[in-house]
Amino acid sequence: MARAVGGPLVDDLSRRIAELEAEVQESRQLNVRVAELVDLVQELMLPLASQDRERIEAALAKFERSL
Amino acid sequence: MVQVEAIAVDDDGIRFRTGADDVVDVCFDGRRVWSFWLLRDSVAHGTERLVSWPSQLTRFLHGTARLSLVAHVSGVTLYDETVRLGNGEGGIKVEDEQGRPLALDKSNRISLTFETRTPEQVAPLLDAVQEVLDALREAGVQAFPAYGTLLGAVRDGALIGHDNDADLGYVSEHSHPVDAIRESFALQRFLGERGYDTQRYSGIAFKVDVIEADGSRRGLDVFGGFIAPAVGGRPATLYLMGEVGAPFEKEWIFPLGTTTLEGRTLPAPARPEKLLEAMYGPGWKVPDPAFKFETPRSVVRRLDGWFRGIRVHRNDWDRRFSTLRNTLPTDAPSDLAQYVVDQEGVPAQLVDLGAGRAGDALWFARQGSSVTALDFVPWASAAAQRVARAEGLDLRFGSVNLHSYRSWLAEGSRLAHVPGPRTILCRHLVDAGTAVSRDATWRLCEMALREGGRLYLEFLAGEPRPRTRTELLSPVPVADVVAGLEGRGAVIVHREDRQERTAPDKPGRPVARLVAEWRR
Repeated sequence: MARAVGGPLVDDLSRRIAELEAEVQESRQLNVRVAELVDLVQELMLPLASQDRERIEAALAKFERSL
Repeated sequence: MVQVEAIAVDDDGIRFRTGADDVVDVCFDGRRVWSFWLLRDSVAHGTERLVSWPSQLTRFLHGTARLSLVAHVSGVTLYDETVRLGNGEGGIKVEDEQGRPLALDKSNRISLTFETRTPEQVAPLLDAVQEVLDALREAGVQAFPAYGTLLGAVRDGALIGHDNDADLGYVSEHSHPVDAIRESFALQRFLGERGYDTQRYSGIAFKVDVIEADGSRRGLDVFGGFIAPAVGGRPATLYLMGEVGAPFEKEWIFPLGTTTLEGRTLPAPARPEKLLEAMYGPGWKVPDPAFKFETPRSVVRRLDGWFRGIRVHRNDWDRRFSTLRNTLPTDAPSDLAQYVVDQEGVPAQLVDLGAGRAGDALWFARQGSSVTALDFVPWASAAAQRVARAEGLDLRFGSVNLHSYRSWLAEGSRLAHVPGPRTILCRHLVDAGTAVSRDATWRLCEMALREGGRLYLEFLAGEPRPRTRTELLSPVPVADVVAGLEGRGAVIVHREDRQERTAPDKPGRPVARLVAEWRR
């Protein structure tokens, strides 16, 4: 019924809603990504900046055990 | 009372006539093994209705048993007859290999449900509930039993018989998903340091494994949540992984009160009935062993968008490898592994990315390469790991999840810190993943090859088709893979279309072989 009356306008709005929904999900997906990067920096930045292989390996092993 | 007539049981399922819906237990020799809703879970067949046997149950249905149908809430027996099903001669036994009774839970998963467990058998789980609640409190959150565990405690002071796990939940003091996720990471780390085996499900939920007295491994799920502040006309809303999104007041959670579960006093939300209503709807007081969540689409989309996406396809691969993990693959070296050696001899350092059962990784290690075998199902290579240990091979097995930045960036950092060029073997990984995991693959390879070396890829080529539960690989257009690699700065040095034989009597599958390198 709506399609018969609205025709191309309804099609256009349906398409734009689908696009908007996809865009909202894209934005939401940043949450895990940001949290992961902050966690990684917080836990690994200092040990990795050192040139001490043993320290780096120990920090990586400890970090990966927590994933 | 619901009228159910003309009940008949055969190999297809249970047939009956009824006009009203009700939840019914199916019992074999007096023990519940499954529950269903008369109308919701059946289909019309002429004037009668048929509820089919769940596929998880059919393998047990050979032989005879006394089958009874009992209305779950009223306890009225609707049917009670000896039936013969399938082609077996003995009694029907719904049990695991050790003879322990199994039943279907509300999601039709077959498991050891609480109804068949003795107090001694569930005591370790309750100990673990208390222990993990204490540890979570020490880690900084005020956790409590959640979902079915809270429901059982508040309704009956007991574990729900048709349930099979214990759930814990907490509501974060944070009000933004990013902070709630970081907190969940910290909690998992804290529990890991306390010696618990954990497994992450999403950005805000993970499982803690507990070993019970009889050796059963049971999972305790820890679900995080947060209250999003009121915005405009929208009231403050509680989002709790994995089903809750409801208008909520912080005072309904804090300060925590107590509840009793199997005689033990445990923390609970200040107003548990408010949380139970948010979880199960206003009918939460009436037991329903076949309950199905009807989580609103907007809540599912929020929880999906904020928190999910780091375990893509994992369950399918767990299932695929579960029966193969202890057998050594016999098809190594693959054509691609042999091609690597033909091109450049046995590499000094080799990374098998997406190693699976690690047949190629083991083969390269035996040729003298220093090998790293990476997969997101680390136990898929259990057999190869045993052999590598026994033979003292230079073969490291690691877990890498290409849908988790923490995971692949950490592994990329490790590889980048080991000097020298290396070869990366990447066979049927591109076609097992997603656009997200492919992009992570290129970045990880770029990090790992910063001192030179090449990436050897092979994957099903062609038009993508939907994955199925049995066909876990989906072809990827070669142009997409080339564009992805070149977009990350790689140069394609070889490209070849081939046919891959999986068995002598089967036609070959079209695969693409690519070799790429990063020039600096």
